[in-house]
Amino acid sequence: MDVHHRRNQILSILAIGLGFVLLYLAQKYLTSYQVRILNNCGLFITLAVSYNLINGVTGQFSLEPNAFVAIGAYTSALLTLSPAEKAMSFIIEPIIWPLSVIQTPFIISLLAAGIVTAIFGFLMGFAVFRVRGDYLAIVTLGFGEVVRVVANNTQTITNGPLGLKALAPYTNVWWTWGLALITVFYVSRLVRTSYGMAMKAVKYDEAAAEAVGINAFRHKMLAFTSSAFFEGIGGGLLAHLITTISPTLFTFFLTFNLLIMIVVGGLGSTTGAIIAAILVTWGGEFLRFVEEPINIFFIHIPAVPGMRMVIFSLLLVLMMIFARHGIMGTREFSWNWVVDRMNGLKFLLRNRG
Amino acid sequence: MKRILMSLLALSLIFTFAIPSAAVAEESFKVGAYLPMTGPVAAYGQMEWAGVQAANKIQPTVLGKNVELFLVDTKSDKIEAANAVDRLIKKNKVHAIIGEAISGNTLAGGPIADKAQIPMVSPTATNPLVTQDKKYVFRVCFIDPFQGEAAASYAYDTMGAKKAAILVDIAQDYCVGLANFFAKSFIKKGGEIVATAYCQTMDQDFTAQLSAIMAAKPDVIYMPNYYTEVALSCRQAAELGLNVPVFSADGAQAEELISIGGKAVEGVIFIGHFAKEAAASELAKTYIETYEKETGKEASAFDALGADAYFILLDAVERAKSVEGPKIRAALASTKNFPAVSGNINIGEDGNAIKDAVLLHVKDGKFRYLATFKQ
Repeated sequence: MDVHHRRNQILSILAIGLGFVLLYLAQKYLTSYQVRILNNCGLFITLAVSYNLINGVTGQFSLEPNAFVAIGAYTSALLTLSPAEKAMSFIIEPIIWPLSVIQTPFIISLLAAGIVTAIFGFLMGFAVFRVRGDYLAIVTLGFGEVVRVVANNTQTITNGPLGLKALAPYTNVWWTWGLALITVFYVSRLVRTSYGMAMKAVKYDEAAAEAVGINAFRHKMLAFTSSAFFEGIGGGLLAHLITTISPTLFTFFLTFNLLIMIVVGGLGSTTGAIIAAILVTWGGEFLRFVEEPINIFFIHIPAVPGMRMVIFSLLLVLMMIFARHGIMGTREFSWNWVVDRMNGLKFLLRNRG
Repeated sequence: MKRILMSLLALSLIFTFAIPSAAVAEESFKVGAYLPMTGPVAAYGQMEWAGVQAANKIQPTVLGKNVELFLVDTKSDKIEAANAVDRLIKKNKVHAIIGEAISGNTLAGGPIADKAQIPMVSPTATNPLVTQDKKYVFRVCFIDPFQGEAAASYAYDTMGAKKAAILVDIAQDYCVGLANFFAKSFIKKGGEIVATAYCQTMDQDFTAQLSAIMAAKPDVIYMPNYYTEVALSCRQAAELGLNVPVFSADGAQAEELISIGGKAVEGVIFIGHFAKEAAASELAKTYIETYEKETGKEASAFDALGADAYFILLDAVERAKSVEGPKIRAALASTKNFPAVSGNINIGEDGNAIKDAVLLHVKDGKFRYLATFKQ
């Protein structure tokens, strides 16, 4: 046990408190555009951190988060939509019975989204964990596509290609950052338990892990189902953030985005996933200025859409060359490190003064 | 390593202090466009943007103010589309918005514009839900149920088809939607859907589906798919000896249909938003001339509709004599018989364009105007 455990706990609680004060101020004084980016950041932290649990911590390279997010989004959206709105949107074929009359509060719909997605993840796990490595990636990628195509063609449940609209904009910074906090807390606690240790063992050498008595399948399932649970709730929040969903939202590009985040952050590092989620989400918006026409002294650069993607790709290439383990590698944030640095700084200042 | 970092830092500093060239004229009328300039449907966004720019060349001022255009890329993505609209409104402080090219993204952007009371005109969002319950969202294209119904009536009434088969790309929301609307209208008219076969984008082999369709002996095959799939399935139908007229949709209107399909797509009929030969208004002629001079490409449906979104917006501003959202909105909603590039446009109560569709077919390796379908 860390000798500074108690101090670190207090520091964490203080930091979280400060964070929420900042969120309160942000929500009050920033424009809706800035708050929207803030919401996206919180949401993508949840998605990236939970995705990292299966891909990074347990080392099972899988490509299914778009399926999980889709299931969560549809579950929660169908539960919060009013019967009147459903009747209005389903113009090709009416929605099937129990769904046509159900309406639940937001929080229940989110829990349902998490549970339904976790059940789906659990069942899917039996099928996909029969294979490993590249095959696992391909099978899970297939599942992602299957969910999207099913959503496109089950007219009476998902409204097919027309999608769902007019979802109440329930999602705000408290939901997105609150869920991010819970996810980070759960994942960082889990990796420190014996389950987490076993997951890491499976990552480094599955055969060796099994040889010392670790049930690899069970630990993969635990990571996968937990990941599905949070991705599902994240999906519900996403749906109520952009207030409309349709199958096109849940393509492979969503997975790909998350994959970039966890690779840039460092596979297996929760801290890295958080930093990269913010960097990619906020950076993507920040870099929009490079797509506007620019005048540098007398040189006029015309607007080039897609420029920020070029910069992102460049950063990725540089990363591959100079920092192949991502921003954090497998390291994590620790208060000890911060306090040490602070002490060092203090020492330096005192000596100088 | 250090030198690289230093030069990167220097570069980023230059970018940070570079001044965006948006000429800061207080008096300009600001129009924001949020379009998919990159990503899976980038082609649509780029064509529409070219159309908007050509339209801006033709009519660069309104109410004596310069029209200033802002473009924000949506990467063909819903989350980005919502960000983009919020950015245009809050950061660029635009008076009106053009976009998005596809329905899903317009559904994400619409509520934000609606809440901020900024009028939005979409060139090509055809999903009927886009404008439903939205006061500030308009469009200049016809909607999918109308296209499905038009196709069904033409097939049933004019072509005399009683039995139809459908080959639909289930991976595309647009195709599934149209197929459903067509089937609904065709059955309502008294027709029968004798076979429905499914394919997916990027499929190469359609022989199994076509054989099933052949066995059902339809009078017409409805293929509301994109040009590649239509072209390939027509080629294979010809090889199988399936000699039934093929009816397609606006997604088929691309030169690639003919270059891939060759002789096999000869005679394919489809409903489109715009046919060059049928474009009668003065504005249309000026537009086609300007567009083709500016870009060196032939004017097509997507760029024409992009231009129409721009023209109809400016027309509303002129009639409203104001750049305030609610006033432009009222003027837009009362648009009557506006002679746009793609035909006369009326705006209905719900913000939808009421306009004619054109029927085109492939003849001698060219798209030819066939008929006009009145709404």
